[in-house]
Amino acid sequence: MIKFIFKAILRDKNRSLLPVIVVAIGVFLTIALSGYISGMLGDIVEQTARFQTGHVKVISKAYAENIDQLPNDLALLGIAKLHEELNADYPDYTWVNRIKFGGIIDVPGENDVSKGQGPAMGIAIEIFSKNSGEVKRLNLVNSLLSGKIPVKSGEVLLGYEFADKLHVKVGDELTFMGNTMNGSIAFAVFTVSGTIRFGNTAMDKGTILIDFTDAQQILDMEDGTGEILGFYKDEIFLQDHALKTAKSFNAKYANTTDEFAPIMKTLGEQNSMGRYLNIIDSITNMFVFIFIIIMSIVLWNTGLIGGLRRYQEFGIRLALGEEKGHIYKTMIYEAVLIGVIGSVIGTILGIIVTILMQTYGINISGMLKNATMMVPTVLKSKFTPQLLYIGFIPGVAAMVIGNMLAGIGIYKRETATLFKELEV
Amino acid sequence: MSEKIITTEKLFKRYPVGDGEFTALNDINLTFDKGEFSGIIGPSGSGKTTLLNILGSLDSPTEGRATVLGHPISSLSHKEAAQLRNKHIGFIFQVYNLLPVYTVFENVEFALLLQNRSASERKKEVMQALEWVGLENMANKKPSKLSGGEGQRVAIARAMVKRPDLVLADEPTANLDAKNAHAILQTMKKLNEELNTTFIFATHDEKVMGYLNRLIHLEDGKVAKDEIVTAKTV
Ligand SMILES: Nc1ncnc2c1ncn2[C@@H]1O[C@H](COP(=O)(O)OP(=O)(O)O)[C@@H](O)[C@H]1O
Ligand SMILES: [Mg+2]
Repeated sequence: MIKFIFKAILRDKNRSLLPVIVVAIGVFLTIALSGYISGMLGDIVEQTARFQTGHVKVISKAYAENIDQLPNDLALLGIAKLHEELNADYPDYTWVNRIKFGGIIDVPGENDVSKGQGPAMGIAIEIFSKNSGEVKRLNLVNSLLSGKIPVKSGEVLLGYEFADKLHVKVGDELTFMGNTMNGSIAFAVFTVSGTIRFGNTAMDKGTILIDFTDAQQILDMEDGTGEILGFYKDEIFLQDHALKTAKSFNAKYANTTDEFAPIMKTLGEQNSMGRYLNIIDSITNMFVFIFIIIMSIVLWNTGLIGGLRRYQEFGIRLALGEEKGHIYKTMIYEAVLIGVIGSVIGTILGIIVTILMQTYGINISGMLKNATMMVPTVLKSKFTPQLLYIGFIPGVAAMVIGNMLAGIGIYKRETATLFKELEV
Repeated sequence: MSEKIITTEKLFKRYPVGDGEFTALNDINLTFDKGEFSGIIGPSGSGKTTLLNILGSLDSPTEGRATVLGHPISSLSHKEAAQLRNKHIGFIFQVYNLLPVYTVFENVEFALLLQNRSASERKKEVMQALEWVGLENMANKKPSKLSGGEGQRVAIARAMVKRPDLVLADEPTANLDAKNAHAILQTMKKLNEELNTTFIFATHDEKVMGYLNRLIHLEDGKVAKDEIVTAKTV
């Protein structure tokens, strides 16, 4: 019987094509959109984690309160001991130091005329430390546009647009002026070792990146750091686990009044990242939900129209001795088959597009020329195994629900009434 | 010798119309023997289809009894009624009503599929039925490629393939020209004689009446006359 139904579906294009197309489009949209959303928001979250928040972050309580002002005067001190403690108690993470700092960059030209000048956002990371994984984490090698990663003290990486603005190239010297931790003038001369495209407009336009030990020295932060970031060893953020880590760490310092005592914050507790994390989930769920409802209504109607066209067929089958219940059941089988066909097509298309978007992305940096926000410049989708069923199940469900609703009318009618209506 | 396969007693069918009722069948008392080739005749609206549908367990009487092949029609469940049609009753309609997506073979096969018969058995029976109606060469054609006469023959094959005890034919010649009408009537008459299948027609076509052994005249839902006649032989 199933074979018989399948034949009919394949042969009667009028009956099956429209629902297949409707289901395929719905499934495709669900997958492409949720792939895009998890790509976009996931990208924002990942980028933010890598460049700003870590999966968890340890800072001083005072620093935490003024975090937007790069308050290095409130930095953590005695970090050697703190690292020992973190590594011993929370071995799931790689703990790395970072210092963010501000200052002015000046490029000396000939005859004491400055070739270029501008405010700089400084980031100091553990470039030279092999265990930190920072070079890889920030994807520095692939992001290099020219030059190389610093290998010795005094070398600096520049955002490529910043380098253009300052008219410097690899090998040029530049001077940095800022404040030390204690408020006195900090001054340093750097050699440009490379230019870099962070893939983030704000950073490309104004960031200098140096090694952590250089920053400690220039800013007078011996045994100190602005922030200690913790990254899961496999680089995958686990919200609940991170919250537990932070809770246990913070409990140890709960009773101290020392404003320089450390405090741990998770990714979700910084930079409104918690909202993003929730949005990813709820938007995806919302899509699926709306999709099921809309598709069910559409398919209900196509089912009704299809049912009307097939009254004659149902009449013949009744006369041949098929039960109403069986006819209804075969309608549902048909719906399942059509739903599966449509969903397979939609899923394949959706996943192809998602993978294409994941591999190539759409570069929107042109549209973000003046943006200073932390926004990825390449629109990307993300393939997750969830996409394999996120459209598929609703696709089949919508088709089946739609046809069940459409079929109820037929099912409830008395055989005689039905047969009379069917008569020609 | 004769075996009663249908009896109706004080059979009434009433339809609600507005505030009142319309009596479509009014006190029908009939018996049919196995192997009859008889017809319910009368003008349009006289109740022929209504009676045929009740005998075919597609409808049930408002009052009175109809017993078909030992089954009381009024007390059959949906399932039992479907079973009765499936195993024992074949229908032929005015429009031959083939399923357009299926081939001639599959249309006939459908009746057997509902009986869960094996594929090899289905094939044998379907080809036999197509042979009866002279369409064994058209098995793989789609209904849209058939003439009206051929379509109605397929419908006969579909009704006959399960070798039912009873075939109910409602105006089977209404859409056919004289030549095709005679051809299918001869086919049915032949099957009636060879397989001893009971045929009951509902018709107002003179051509059909010529083949019948018994004419039951229906007028406004009442049996006006029930006569045995000498039919044409084939
Ligand atoms: N569902 C119904 N409701 C009301 N009247 C009906 C219904 N079905 C049939 N009738 C009436 O019953 C009468 C007999 O109909 P029918 O058996 O189809 O006649 P015939 O087949 O002899 O032309 C007609 O007058 C018809 O209008
Ligand atoms: Mg009629």
